[in-house]
Amino acid sequence: MADLSKPAIVISIIAIIISIVAISYSAAMLGNLNSRVSTLSKEISGLRSAIQHIKTVTPSTVTVVKTKTTTAVKTTTATAVKTKTVTSVTTATKTTVKTTTAVKTSAAPVTLTIYAPWAGDEKKWFMAVVKAFEKEHPNVKVQYVTMRAEDLAKAMPIQFAAGISPADVIFTPWAWWIIKMAQKGYVEPLNGIINPNEYIQGIIYKVEWNGKLWAAPFTMWLKPGFWYRKSFFKAHHLWVPKNWSSFLKLLQTIKKIPGIVNPIVSGDSKGWPLSDIVEHFLITFGGPKLQIELISGKVKFNSTIVKHILGTYLVPLIEKGYFSKPIDWTTAITLWWHEKYALYFMGTWITGMVPNASDLGFFTLPGCKGVVGGADYAFVPKFAKHLKLALEFVKFAATEGQVIHSSEPSGKVPTWLKAPTSKIWGPMRQIYETILKRHMKILPDLDDSVGGSWQLLFWDQLKLLWVEPHKLDQVLNTLAAHFPYKRMASFKYPGMSG
Amino acid sequence: MPPVRKRRRVKWGTILFFLIPPLVPLSIFVIYPIIGTFYLSFVNDHNQFTLNNYISVIQQTSPDLALVLLNNMPRPPPWGALIHNMVWLAIHLPLVTFLGLALAYMLKVVYGRSIIKSIMFIGMVVPMVVGGLIIRFMFEKYVGVVPVVLGAIGLKSLARSWTIYPDTALFALILGSVWLWTGFSLTIHAAAIDSLPNSYLEAAKIDGASEWQIFRKIVIPLVKPATLTVVVMTMLWDLKIFGIVYAATMGGPGGASTVLALVMYWYFARMLAYHKAAAVAVILTAITMIPISIFIRWVMRRGR
Repeated sequence: MADLSKPAIVISIIAIIISIVAISYSAAMLGNLNSRVSTLSKEISGLRSAIQHIKTVTPSTVTVVKTKTTTAVKTTTATAVKTKTVTSVTTATKTTVKTTTAVKTSAAPVTLTIYAPWAGDEKKWFMAVVKAFEKEHPNVKVQYVTMRAEDLAKAMPIQFAAGISPADVIFTPWAWWIIKMAQKGYVEPLNGIINPNEYIQGIIYKVEWNGKLWAAPFTMWLKPGFWYRKSFFKAHHLWVPKNWSSFLKLLQTIKKIPGIVNPIVSGDSKGWPLSDIVEHFLITFGGPKLQIELISGKVKFNSTIVKHILGTYLVPLIEKGYFSKPIDWTTAITLWWHEKYALYFMGTWITGMVPNASDLGFFTLPGCKGVVGGADYAFVPKFAKHLKLALEFVKFAATEGQVIHSSEPSGKVPTWLKAPTSKIWGPMRQIYETILKRHMKILPDLDDSVGGSWQLLFWDQLKLLWVEPHKLDQVLNTLAAHFPYKRMASFKYPGMSG
Repeated sequence: MPPVRKRRRVKWGTILFFLIPPLVPLSIFVIYPIIGTFYLSFVNDHNQFTLNNYISVIQQTSPDLALVLLNNMPRPPPWGALIHNMVWLAIHLPLVTFLGLALAYMLKVVYGRSIIKSIMFIGMVVPMVVGGLIIRFMFEKYVGVVPVVLGAIGLKSLARSWTIYPDTALFALILGSVWLWTGFSLTIHAAAIDSLPNSYLEAAKIDGASEWQIFRKIVIPLVKPATLTVVVMTMLWDLKIFGIVYAATMGGPGGASTVLALVMYWYFARMLAYHKAAAVAVILTAITMIPISIFIRWVMRRGR
């Protein structure tokens, strides 16, 4: 017994310490909650007196301010949003302007926390937007945290379920995930904050559900085709192909160039770069409509047309070694830039990731009539600490912020129609104008639109196809067998039937 | 007349004094989540009792989420996460145990063995995600040590990037993990061998036993408790393996290297299907209970 007493005492002391820490933490949390409640009470009384004051001075603006007050006080804003929706856009703008004034005049410093997926250079371009916002709001300090879509998906739902949100504004490219969160009641609707009619076609619908808007679009990336170095093409007398046989001849010629490992480098990470290539082949040879019909499940992956396109055009290229084996997509950029490979299928963000963007050229597969594009979206969790300010930031990011972001070498173009094209960063503007000139239809990303576990399956199966192209039938059957037809049946793309 | 045994008074105050402090954090951070997970696995979104979560995860046929894919056998993987975990056990466990034991015995007579042991132990302290990335590079064509060596000795078919092919991805991870985990086996066995009385080994030598005989007849039986610890810990490692799989292959290609913990993660983080994730977690826990119960029974028997 005596032998056991010493370790037992030690364990007990450790346990007591842990208990004390746990209790202290709980107490601190309660204290924090208490202080939040008292701050909220002060805000309510302040707003009440402001309403009284305005009532006596300008009776005509009472409705607007009332709307604002409701938004500030209540976290469940159904009534407030309803009012905003029925009123005109001008009213909504007025509300926001008044909120801005309220924040600006407040002397208390506020820290707004933003979670977004960008790191490195991508973060740098986004921080230009943040700085512009901070300049307009001297009392606001933005705390930026890099959080990728995958990490958000695993961390946030639990926090939301507990009624907590560590971030005031969250950016993610996963529109389907935002809607999923909205369906659980975790997201603040944005009706009246931005005007959906001011955005390019096919961007807003992804974040609409139940008649409400749940997120605001930020800038857009495009996946236009195969990138090449102009200097490399010039040095080796290569050409931009005008038809399929010219494309094949180009690949054959590139393959013979000394030092070239494969003509096209295949990016890998979780498999998405491969899905972009597959989508490009499907759009080129099946037309933009096929992309929409595949997303809606109207056309199955093991259908004759998909088998024909991939079997006739893509698989032979893989088998002949024109595509490299999947390589980490960022490593692939370096290798491709150093001319180990000649072509790289990637999104427009590549323009911000190479040493000299003016040396970049791109071409689509000959005859391609559609380009996959998509935006990042910003949403405000219902439990955001600074709800008003968060909404204001989202409005800023979705409008003026887009102008700033696309003027940086971010490789993105604005989705806000009011953003002047002349302000887009030079190399990106040329690409954007080329796409517009060719009347290419901007299409939704296939796997991003479907999302969920099928997206993961799609990526993984394509990784298999890339190393074992003879398994095309098996891959397509697997994709068809596990496609969420029921969920995607309601998918509609503006201007196109799915 | 036999002596009357005094009934010892139970000091409830003392018991509670020692019991409550550890029980409070344990209840909050361990017991409650376990019960919660168990409960979650047996209910649906409306909190109604159901077995559908278990049925659904067991019947799943999507290669990246399936637990068992017997129709794909005897072809190369995917065979399902549960089978993959069993393959891990079948290859990883004996290799790690034997290599650790053999190396520990051999290093007994090697000069600078502490340095070698420290180097071997590095694999243990490397974060699993980093370990996964290292494995990816170890088996990468042109740069990885394994394909380069295999290519140099004429095995051209294996001189390729192992992690991107379905027939080699699973084995690349297992072999890579042998490199990471052997340090643990080595350390435990080395400690056990160091504590063996020299007289046993010297007596055997005087009697004319060969090194192999000493190793087989004396060392192996005497270090059995250490071996059992290694076996149980390695079994647990193999069953809950996640980090290196996630970082090196994400369970691919085509679900060829997926494991139970990764399937649980996909249900949880990708599909937001918490009930199904909980069901996989319970299945995983139930399986890991087997080696744990064996170990506990063995410890109890030794104690008696």
